Amino acid sequence: MSEVTNTKDNHIGKSKSVGFKYFLCILPFIILVFLFSYFPLHGWIYAFYDYKPPRSLSQCEFVGLKWFKMLVSNPTQVKQLVQVLKNTFVMSLLGIATSILPLFFAVFLNEIKNKKFKSFVQTFTTLPNFISWVLVFSVAFALFSSNGMVNTFLHQMGCIKTPIKFLDSDSYTYLKMLLWGLWKGLGWGSIIYLASIASIDQELYEAASIDGAGRFQKILYITIPELLPTFFVMLMMAVSNFLNNGMDQYFVFQNSFNKEHIQVLDLYVYNIGMTGSSYSLATAISMLKSIVSIALLSLCNVVSKLTRGETIV
Amino acid sequence: MKNKVLSLLLCGSMVATMFAGCGKSSASKSASAKGDYSDELTLDVYDDFANYNGVQTGWFAKIIKDKFNIKLNVIAPNVAGGGDTLYQTRTAAGDLGDLILVGTSNGRLKDLVDSGLVLNLDDYMKGKDVTKNYGNAIKAANKGLDGTYAMPYSVSQDSATTPGEGTEPTFGPYVRWDYYKEMGYPEVKDLNGLLDMLEKMQEMAREKEGKKDIYALSFFKDWDGNMMNNAKQPTCMYGYDELGFVLSKYDGSEDVDILADNSPYLDVLKLYYEANKRGLVDPDSTTQNYDTMSSKYSHGKILFCPWPWASKSLFNTQENTSAGKGYQMIPISNMKIFSYGATPDGNTSQAICIGSKAKDPQRIADFIDWLYSPEGVECNEQGNGAQGPKGLSWDLDKDGKPYLTEFGKKALPSNDTKVPKEWGGGSWKDGVSALNFKCVSLEDPDKNAGGAKYDYTTWESYISAAQTPIDKDWSEHMGGAKTTMEYLKNNDMLGIAPGTTYSTPEEDSNISTIRGQVKATIVDNSWKMIFAKDDAEFDSIKANMIKTAKGLGYEDCLKVDFKNAKDQNAARKKAASK
Repeated sequence: MSEVTNTKDNHIGKSKSVGFKYFLCILPFIILVFLFSYFPLHGWIYAFYDYKPPRSLSQCEFVGLKWFKMLVSNPTQVKQLVQVLKNTFVMSLLGIATSILPLFFAVFLNEIKNKKFKSFVQTFTTLPNFISWVLVFSVAFALFSSNGMVNTFLHQMGCIKTPIKFLDSDSYTYLKMLLWGLWKGLGWGSIIYLASIASIDQELYEAASIDGAGRFQKILYITIPELLPTFFVMLMMAVSNFLNNGMDQYFVFQNSFNKEHIQVLDLYVYNIGMTGSSYSLATAISMLKSIVSIALLSLCNVVSKLTRGETIV
Repeated sequence: MKNKVLSLLLCGSMVATMFAGCGKSSASKSASAKGDYSDELTLDVYDDFANYNGVQTGWFAKIIKDKFNIKLNVIAPNVAGGGDTLYQTRTAAGDLGDLILVGTSNGRLKDLVDSGLVLNLDDYMKGKDVTKNYGNAIKAANKGLDGTYAMPYSVSQDSATTPGEGTEPTFGPYVRWDYYKEMGYPEVKDLNGLLDMLEKMQEMAREKEGKKDIYALSFFKDWDGNMMNNAKQPTCMYGYDELGFVLSKYDGSEDVDILADNSPYLDVLKLYYEANKRGLVDPDSTTQNYDTMSSKYSHGKILFCPWPWASKSLFNTQENTSAGKGYQMIPISNMKIFSYGATPDGNTSQAICIGSKAKDPQRIADFIDWLYSPEGVECNEQGNGAQGPKGLSWDLDKDGKPYLTEFGKKALPSNDTKVPKEWGGGSWKDGVSALNFKCVSLEDPDKNAGGAKYDYTTWESYISAAQTPIDKDWSEHMGGAKTTMEYLKNNDMLGIAPGTTYSTPEEDSNISTIRGQVKATIVDNSWKMIFAKDDAEFDSIKANMIKTAKGLGYEDCLKVDFKNAKDQNAARKKAASK
């Protein structure tokens, strides 16, 4: 008996020390996560003060929930906030709705038999992902500004008399932003699907061939179903980033004319906090953003549990 | 969540504050023994007014290196962009700079003093010339503070009711005079008349040059603040200047809020809308910045300019004027151009301070003292219109009267002329002081120049030599006036706002927050109004702008602005009666 117990003890001790070793291995990452995801949260304290640099926080007045109240204090402010949220939701939804496109792109790219052409297209469409939005905007400016290439061309062809305002108008702002986003992200987004396609069992295709399936049938009944799990993982990640649709794209493209529809939450926080120099109010808004994010994630979780029977988080 | 730029930044600044707090004891103030400048000292210069970022180079750098063995590393928020961001992050980090040139409105100076970021200069400035000569101005700059923290801006010997400008006003209707001449000098009665005239001028100029990209008006967005900057300018030709959301008349007779029914600002928006409908507005306006626009002026492609310094100074080069081309001011019958009166006690909305963490503050104080001396003014304020270093760009003739040397004629006001090696080499333009700070008014007499003004364009020798054909033609049609200011004074077209030491007090942060949002609303909608398709759209944007601004709390800001305007008017009255 005692021998047995001993071995058991030894075993537990061993696994404990192994467990500790593993813990040490992940410790740096825990520290990093803490430093970059939890430590900054203490900055939320600024939302409860009337913070005005150069005065330090201790010299500033504690104002409690003043800034939160201010956000909902008058109908115009609420209206603006609603518009901003609407922009954020619409652009995020459009982004999610079009997240199926990289999948199709990957499928069709995979069907190209000419290897050189295929890799050329792949490289060519992936490259924009590495160009910063500032540079994308300068390209956009060179092409579409009032004396840009497109306007000059149309003008010289005699198609137009006055330049078309591509950048400085509020027509189709959502669509324009979506197209820029797609142009930049399509190739990059398809990489993961191309990798998944490569890992599909070739026997499935062979079997389908024997059964007399054509090219489109193979795509429809093998490739796409095999890619769907990957797609859903990507979709979930997109949903949890719902409110984080970035600000750099909208920041570089914003101007007086399209601001009403381009101002997403992050940009709104920037415009109020940095240029309007009200850090406290900006912090309060960004706190709200975190709360909405958590709410969305929980909702997603519930939906997932109801429909698939398992939770994401 | 993870992408919280703001919270990261706040966190960073907080950490920095923590560390800054720790280092309090060390900051060794190794004041070099008086006049011992043997170690080279590089100063971090935080400068709200500089338009150049980086180490000062060229002839000005050589002069201060020889005199004080210092180098200036200029940190310029204007170049960095992002409004107040740089100021706020640097102040939050506890060190703004060694030498600080800062706008003091909205209670900023008091903030700096209270948070211990600037040094009390009482001991360092004791017995210096600047204290003797400008004691009153220093006192005025430090009103309400316990000690001397700030050195004044634009001190003048002139009375408060004398124009602070030299030969050209700050604002004014400047057009291409050569085209105006060709049109037969038509009379312009008011702003609408100006528009009609510009329409004809644009047609004529396009035909004459065979180019389609000539426009009457061109705008840019960089300087938009409380309102759209370009749309404010014409109101300055009728004696208004902005104070928050209020346009205040030079003589205190009228304060009008910019969204009121009788607002001159809204009138200008309508005028510009009208202009755009007639095809007089440069379509690049909506996207270009100041640089792009000013390069158009230096090619003479925009016919009208509300400022002499953006049109005349850029385009009226020797080459262009000798070909008979140039910008000149035209008279609009009912105009009354706003002029900033001289400030005998300095203009307290700008100041020089020394940072509390500066090494060797005595040497910096010596340098500041020099900036207020005749030689300092000549050199440092060259970029603002002074004559530059004696012996290089100017000299005295045998009667003790100043004149520009051959080099000066080529180099001034700020041309790309090569500077001799012994003066530091490089180009004259690049060597101009980056500080962009007028310690002493340029209209003050220069002891070194036999009592002539620092502003060399007022020198007899300069005026008689600078009469180009276009100047002569202008003078003939303006009743023999030699300079623009002379014409305006003779015809009672100048509205001089007496110079005061008034600067707006600190604002409640509630109001600042509302103001920030209202500003954006007004600016964005002003642009949309000008480029509206038709009257109905114009009116609906206008109505929407007023509604949104009011909904956000415009009226609350107005209360503050009206009170400030009233205080400013009272200060002006007081200054004028002195």
